[in-house]
Amino acid sequence: MAQTATPTTALPVSRPVSTVASKKRQEAITGLTFIAPALIILLVFMVVPLIAAGYFSLTNWDGIRPLTRGIISEENPNGAYEFVGLENYERLLIREGSRQEGFFTALKNTIYYVLGVVPVQTFLALTLAVIVNQRFLKAKGFFRTAFYFPSITSSVVISLIFMWLFTSNGLVNLALKAIFPDYQQVTWLNDPNGIIHNFLGLFGITRRSVGDWASLEIASIRLWDWISGPSVTMLMIMILNTWTTTGTLMVIYLAALQNIPSHVYEAAYVDGANAWQIFRKITVPLLRPTTFFVVTIGLIGTFQVFDQIFVISNGGPADTTLTIAYLVYASGFTDTRMGQAAATAVLLFIIIFTFTLIQRRFVSERADV
Amino acid sequence: MRKTLLVSLALAVLALAFGSLVVAQDQVTIRLWGHGSSPAEEAALNAQIAAFEEAYPDIDVELLISPEYDTQLQAAFASGDYPEVFYVGQDKVDEFADAGVLAPAEDNVEDVDDIYPALVETFTYNGTFYCPAKDFSNLTLEYNIDMFDEAGVDYPTADWTWDDLRAASEQITEATGTPAFVVELNIDRWFAFYVQAGGTFYDEDGNFVFASEGENADAAVEAMEFFVGLFEDGLAVTPQDVGAGWAGEAFGQGAAAMTMEGNWIIQFLLDSYPDLNWASAELPAGPGGEGTLTFSECYGVAADNAHPEESWQLVNFLTNREGAMRVAEGGFGVMPARASSADAWLEARGEEYEPFVASSAYAVAPVLPPGFQEFRDTLTNGLVSAVEGNSTVEDAIEDAREVVEELLEE
Repeated sequence: MAQTATPTTALPVSRPVSTVASKKRQEAITGLTFIAPALIILLVFMVVPLIAAGYFSLTNWDGIRPLTRGIISEENPNGAYEFVGLENYERLLIREGSRQEGFFTALKNTIYYVLGVVPVQTFLALTLAVIVNQRFLKAKGFFRTAFYFPSITSSVVISLIFMWLFTSNGLVNLALKAIFPDYQQVTWLNDPNGIIHNFLGLFGITRRSVGDWASLEIASIRLWDWISGPSVTMLMIMILNTWTTTGTLMVIYLAALQNIPSHVYEAAYVDGANAWQIFRKITVPLLRPTTFFVVTIGLIGTFQVFDQIFVISNGGPADTTLTIAYLVYASGFTDTRMGQAAATAVLLFIIIFTFTLIQRRFVSERADV
Repeated sequence: MRKTLLVSLALAVLALAFGSLVVAQDQVTIRLWGHGSSPAEEAALNAQIAAFEEAYPDIDVELLISPEYDTQLQAAFASGDYPEVFYVGQDKVDEFADAGVLAPAEDNVEDVDDIYPALVETFTYNGTFYCPAKDFSNLTLEYNIDMFDEAGVDYPTADWTWDDLRAASEQITEATGTPAFVVELNIDRWFAFYVQAGGTFYDEDGNFVFASEGENADAAVEAMEFFVGLFEDGLAVTPQDVGAGWAGEAFGQGAAAMTMEGNWIIQFLLDSYPDLNWASAELPAGPGGEGTLTFSECYGVAADNAHPEESWQLVNFLTNREGAMRVAEGGFGVMPARASSADAWLEARGEEYEPFVASSAYAVAPVLPPGFQEFRDTLTNGLVSAVEGNSTVEDAIEDAREVVEELLEE
């Protein structure tokens, strides 16, 4: 045992005198070795699929035909796919029909989702961060952990728990029934009615009473359906997601809050500012770069919402929880149109990329000030 | 001393390795992929495979029961390295055949004449028969005897019509205060009403004619008005409405007096709700006569396959006359695909399940052309919207018809 350990340390090694050039090369090799695992993972799971998605979005591959059969040609009639140019994009965006309807339904649902979740989770994260940052707060550690906890739990598990809570015989309905005996059961997870429709319905405004303009179709979707708002089921998924991501964003805000130098606050106290004024005029403006960051990762995350929908609703009821990311999966695997799915994924990428660019401009403008 | 021991040990190891190598050369491994819905189903399949491996000692069967079966199988197809034998659902067979991953049956299947013609038809695409059905199920009407007694309503019979179903639902709903009928709100149930209203899917030339001009259009509207009417008038609910995962569970819990499900409900109710007092009847007839839906799956054999002969040996073992008898006797409620073992199934399961067999006389498999998933989605969404009052029945059918036209143009 002892014999094997000695040679590496005890043997005198004659080291060549290292030149600057060879030292630099060694450093480069060491550096590359350190980033290699991350780089390889990035290449294999991000860059290659990205290129592949762009490639297949120009084909009519169905996702079933073995790729080993190659491209369809005169010599190879049994190939797996052929190039169709921009047809997939044209079907999704321009040509009237079910693909366009599917894409714009998903776009509509996703936009309602993003508009609902991002502001709420940002506001809640900031509020929570400010609360747990208070000096006088007791059991700070407990609250920080409690708020952060949903973020580190598996989204599938959280979704399942939500399903049990909100099924028609679930805890929520039972509790509501106990408090309000007249309560008419709501099937939270299977209700396709849009909340704006429901709201309008309170004033007697329905599909039948609004007149013919509501039947007008824009991008294969009736105007009345454009203004539906998220469905009740979608609202449930929005609440679920807000709850789980708020914790992560809170931690980011908390770190930023602790970076604000205390002398700024002291100066404000000296000038006689009250707590609200300090928050409004000092904390919020100083947190602006963080807010931009939080909003951006919020946008990216919400545009890509998939797993909660896969577990809870599969895009239903009546396609009201069909999001773009879920549409990618559905058209690739249930409709077996992988080319179409790839084109949808590329469009989603472009949407997110555009939002990120807009956001970057805002940030750099801030930096100039 | 030590050296000779070592040498002999090494020799022994070598001999063992060599020996197993020789055996491995003769041994063929066939991968069989499928999905399971119940422990009983898996146990039945495992018993079949054990019997096969005993009869064919040279063939190893590697069974994979996958929870995300369709996705996993599709990914395997795409890679070009996929199992030799795999389940093919009736809604997938045209797609797989079209993609050329399914080997045609040619004359590899034993006694095709004995398989129900409707099932042979289901697994035939463009005139080529691809695979023998492993088993099948028909939708029937299951009813809760106690709830019928409580409401004082006569039990369903084979002669029931839509009017009888509606009248009984009204009486039971009134007597018990809960909706009488629990049914999934999707086209795999609604199509039964479409067929009962006289609707057809294909014309004589094999063109898809759902809800097209004339009789089919009328049948679609009539069937959807009847079906949606049951929901609108509070006589029917979906399983989700009553907090159940599927209609069988809701029915088992006593949430409703009737449901319409296939053979898979038999073993489920026996296992999960052994005290439930229930029976089954053939589905009621509509204005277009009797009608029900068949659901089935076959054992497909891979087109790119190093062992086609052994693959067909496995498929035949599972589906020939003896295989069908094993399904009948040791199965989990689904019916064997061969007419010759229908009696054995009834004997094994009990005569009270006769309506499941009797329905075969007029059952239709709702098989859509390849790539018609969007049609399914549109029509299902239309059904949901119509029930919610967000769209009219005519709009829902018109939307579906538009999708059909669009898909047929491709």
